[in-house]
Amino acid sequence: MWEVMFWPCVACVLLPWLLVYLGIHVVQRGIIFIDIAMAQMASLGICVAVLLHLDLQSPATFAIALGFTLVGAVIFSFTGKRSSQVPQEALIGIAYVVATAAAVLLLSRAAEGDEEIKNMLVGNILLVSPAEVWQCFGLFAAVGVFHGLLRQQFMLVSFDREAAYQQGMRVRWWDFLFYASFGVVVTSFVRIAGVLLVFTYLIVPAVCGISLAGPLRKRLLIGWLLSLAGGVAGLFLSFRFDLPSGAAIVCTFGALLILVSSAAAIRDACAPARAQRAQRH
Amino acid sequence: MTRTKSLFIALAAVLALVSTAHATLNVVATLPDFGALASEIGGDKVEVTVLAKATEDSHFVDARPSFIVKLRNADVLIEGGAELETGWLPPLLQNARNEKIATGAPGRVVAAEGLRLMNVPTDVTRAAGDVHALGNPHYMIDPIIAKTVAEHIAHAFAACDAANAATYEANYRTFAATIDARLQEWGKTLLPFKGANVAAYHDSWPYLAHRFGLTIDTFLEPKPGIPPSPSHLADVIEKMKAQHSKAIILEPFHNRKIAEKVAASTGAKIIDAAQYPGALPNTDTYVALIDALVARIAAALREQ
Repeated sequence: MWEVMFWPCVACVLLPWLLVYLGIHVVQRGIIFIDIAMAQMASLGICVAVLLHLDLQSPATFAIALGFTLVGAVIFSFTGKRSSQVPQEALIGIAYVVATAAAVLLLSRAAEGDEEIKNMLVGNILLVSPAEVWQCFGLFAAVGVFHGLLRQQFMLVSFDREAAYQQGMRVRWWDFLFYASFGVVVTSFVRIAGVLLVFTYLIVPAVCGISLAGPLRKRLLIGWLLSLAGGVAGLFLSFRFDLPSGAAIVCTFGALLILVSSAAAIRDACAPARAQRAQRH
Repeated sequence: MTRTKSLFIALAAVLALVSTAHATLNVVATLPDFGALASEIGGDKVEVTVLAKATEDSHFVDARPSFIVKLRNADVLIEGGAELETGWLPPLLQNARNEKIATGAPGRVVAAEGLRLMNVPTDVTRAAGDVHALGNPHYMIDPIIAKTVAEHIAHAFAACDAANAATYEANYRTFAATIDARLQEWGKTLLPFKGANVAAYHDSWPYLAHRFGLTIDTFLEPKPGIPPSPSHLADVIEKMKAQHSKAIILEPFHNRKIAEKVAASTGAKIIDAAQYPGALPNTDTYVALIDALVARIAAALREQ
């Protein structure tokens, strides 16, 4: 088992921490589907590269994909108004469907089969190579340092936008930096692990952390432990019952979320009774 | 130094002989048609594992952990080559790291090697869709090519397991004789339809058309791997009417609704076909598959 599952395991241990952290921002901002929209922007970029007859593995193709991700970042940061009747999630949804449809149109014109594009954009965690894991880890470390240094500003913009505006921060620029770094992270992780896993690692640990604890540190800790447990357990189940690895991990996370929310519900149900008892004494 | 080295080599050779003499040969086939041939040739001397399911699109196969384990323990790997498995086999092999089935090793059978494939593009650009630079890879549907591939497999088995070489050779001869006998029957069944126009969803059938004298040059896909557009379907319908095409060949993983729409507009019958043994009922062997294909095509063309 170890020989086959070693690198997937390394990937599941070394990479999700940054996604869990970004996920807490994403859930707080209420922009749950931003990752899928960003991944779709990147794939639209690759379709353009195909139309230009570029080699899919070339740096130029990667640059175009990245460029489209940045376009997405610009769109999302400059349409997010201080107060608006239209929720940001609506714009994200629109960006997703338009990018998807545009990719279909481009491909039909380019007469290009989607099979290689699919292969390029959507990785399989079972088949990661050591080089991919290290490259991705290096990138994540860089983005992690960036976010670590500027954490106070990013936190303020995500968690207390009004205060950020009142302090005179250029919120849109901070939003742009957030979306741009987020886009880079999501696009590179999708290439290793696929769309389903990115979404799961972003949202599930963050939701569990938020429902179990208040302070950010505790939420992060819970999220990180959960992402480790879910990833490794999912890989084990995938091996034990010979299931596609990505889907096995996602379902393991689903089960963990049910466990955690029942635990939280029981705790909340017991809390008033305990408080009453404390009052009586 | 050199003496200990040669001693080791001799020891390794003895061990290899002992182990191959007792164990059955572990054979992994990427696709069910190669698996079916491997079973015919190997009989009870081999243990055959097929990676792709018969009803799955062979261009896309979802990798599972057991695939890597099986490739790791394989003595022989049979692949189609000709870029059919290019989307999913290389990363699996990279993770399996098995010397016995490395490129060029006796345990690595590339079935397309030495075959002359049809529709080799003169100018390979990606503009033509999911084209295969080495030619159309759906060659196993031609029984005569299947015979050649079976011989190729028998030689590889003999090279990896010399003790049973005679059995493999005998099994190959039986298989080849069966094909030769059945070919007469298949040709007779399809003879009345020589030159008939048949449409297909995907360009999987040039070898079948060539062998049995059918014309299969109208495809519901505008280019291989590209989903049909409305204007292309309109062209297809017009072409089918002009050619009096009476049937559309459809595989299990293709979009049936599109084929039904075209069938409704043209009055053509849909032939539920498959390239792989096991995808249609009672087609576990290669011969049974071709039997079923020939019968279904003949039935669809006879009805009108």
